[in-house]
Amino acid sequence: MTNTRNAVVTGAASGIGAAVMRELQGRGWRVAGLDLRAAGSDCDVITNMADGVAVNSAIAEVEKCLGPISAVVSAAGHYEIIPVLDITEPVWDRMLSVHLGGAFNLARAVLPGMIERRDGAFVAVTSELAIGGGDGDSHYAAAKGAIIGFVRSLAAEVAPHNVRVNAVAPGPTDTPLLAADSPWREPGYLATLPARRLAMPEEIALVAAYLIEDATFAVGEIISPNSGAVI
Amino acid sequence: MSAPRFDGKVVLVTGAAQGMGRAIAVHMASLGALVAVNDRVDDPRLHELAHELGGYVAVADVSDRAAVFAMVADVRDNFGPIDVLVSNHAYMTMDSFLSYDSADWWRVVKTNLAGTFWLIQAALPDMRSSGAGRIVVTSSIWGVIGWPEATAYSASKAGLISLVKTLGRELAPENIVINAIAPGVTDTPQLQVDADSAGVPLTEMHKIYAQSIPLGRIGKPEEIARTVAMLADFNMSALVGQTIQVNGGEVRSRV
Repeated sequence: MTNTRNAVVTGAASGIGAAVMRELQGRGWRVAGLDLRAAGSDCDVITNMADGVAVNSAIAEVEKCLGPISAVVSAAGHYEIIPVLDITEPVWDRMLSVHLGGAFNLARAVLPGMIERRDGAFVAVTSELAIGGGDGDSHYAAAKGAIIGFVRSLAAEVAPHNVRVNAVAPGPTDTPLLAADSPWREPGYLATLPARRLAMPEEIALVAAYLIEDATFAVGEIISPNSGAVI
Repeated sequence: MSAPRFDGKVVLVTGAAQGMGRAIAVHMASLGALVAVNDRVDDPRLHELAHELGGYVAVADVSDRAAVFAMVADVRDNFGPIDVLVSNHAYMTMDSFLSYDSADWWRVVKTNLAGTFWLIQAALPDMRSSGAGRIVVTSSIWGVIGWPEATAYSASKAGLISLVKTLGRELAPENIVINAIAPGVTDTPQLQVDADSAGVPLTEMHKIYAQSIPLGRIGKPEEIARTVAMLADFNMSALVGQTIQVNGGEVRSRV
């Protein structure tokens, strides 16, 4: 268990981030939501996660607002399907800077306090596509795959300070990230999933809450609530 | 949603006389479950545990298919149909490969791998009748990475991972969800086998293991029990056929 019940969730304004925020609040946590727009959290800070300086000042603001932070969930991200040869450098850079850069910036901002207090749980949201890949997903999969390598290394590095780093790798999940006409919503695709349906953001939130509250001996682990898309 | 609850659910935990199984039974009961506690022999510890938890004693050698089916029928008739199976029992011996007694080698595999297979076969009809079920299988870090002198144990535990992957695919359409846990070094009586094999006292064995674990300590049975509760949660069915590693960071890999 962690020492405080103060948490930061990025991408808290919608989708998985919003579900994680609600799940943690339901368990008695006070949650600061970092997003590009207001999340309706206990302490909203408008933040672009790709901007390291902005993330540092956002975390400083959260600590003033809530106090020391014991748990963070890095859920901010975006998704787009683009054939590899159509991925321009700005598109590539944005994908890497939001996902991998967002997790990196968040870790840099919160870890000093967690290490000092020997108390912390860091949960990154990666993706089933980081493990199995997908057609038209090369930049997204590269960014999410990099998060897995980052998480496993960071986990080994900070575990001796009693800070646990883990990740959740959702499969296709019923969030605004998947457009109404997304191929991941097609009945023909869903029929191939052992669970026969998209994951719900609330299920991803249950795994994130487990990693924070109950997984006190899990370090560098990637948990995959993906409806059986990658087993 | 919220943290898992199991009010009124019947949960069968195998290998519950001690170690992880006992911790799992205690934790699931604390979350409202009705727990049937199994072990190989009719042990006073099982009766005390069942009494303490308001549970039910279910004795069977799980390597014996007929005994498993009789035990599950007994639980069904006298305690209730099974909603959650936690196949946690294990038998372990260690020896170098060429000197390993072949009967003992197969006893490990029959208990750990076949025993789980029989348990799932026996419990599935209950889950199908109720339209939902959860199965949690205890594998091992040694089923993921292997270990010298543990050929039987590692083979049996790796077999469980593949069994879980396959049944994850086969059963999920029926809302019967199976996953596994691969615990790392955990403070249970089984560690005495490792200590004996290494020729050191148990406390020394704990220290030796902790040195190779990033978190700097070995695990506790209660930490495995909390993972079982997450995997058995009826509010979650998106997690299918997976093996969750709970090992303090000793091994960080895809399973």
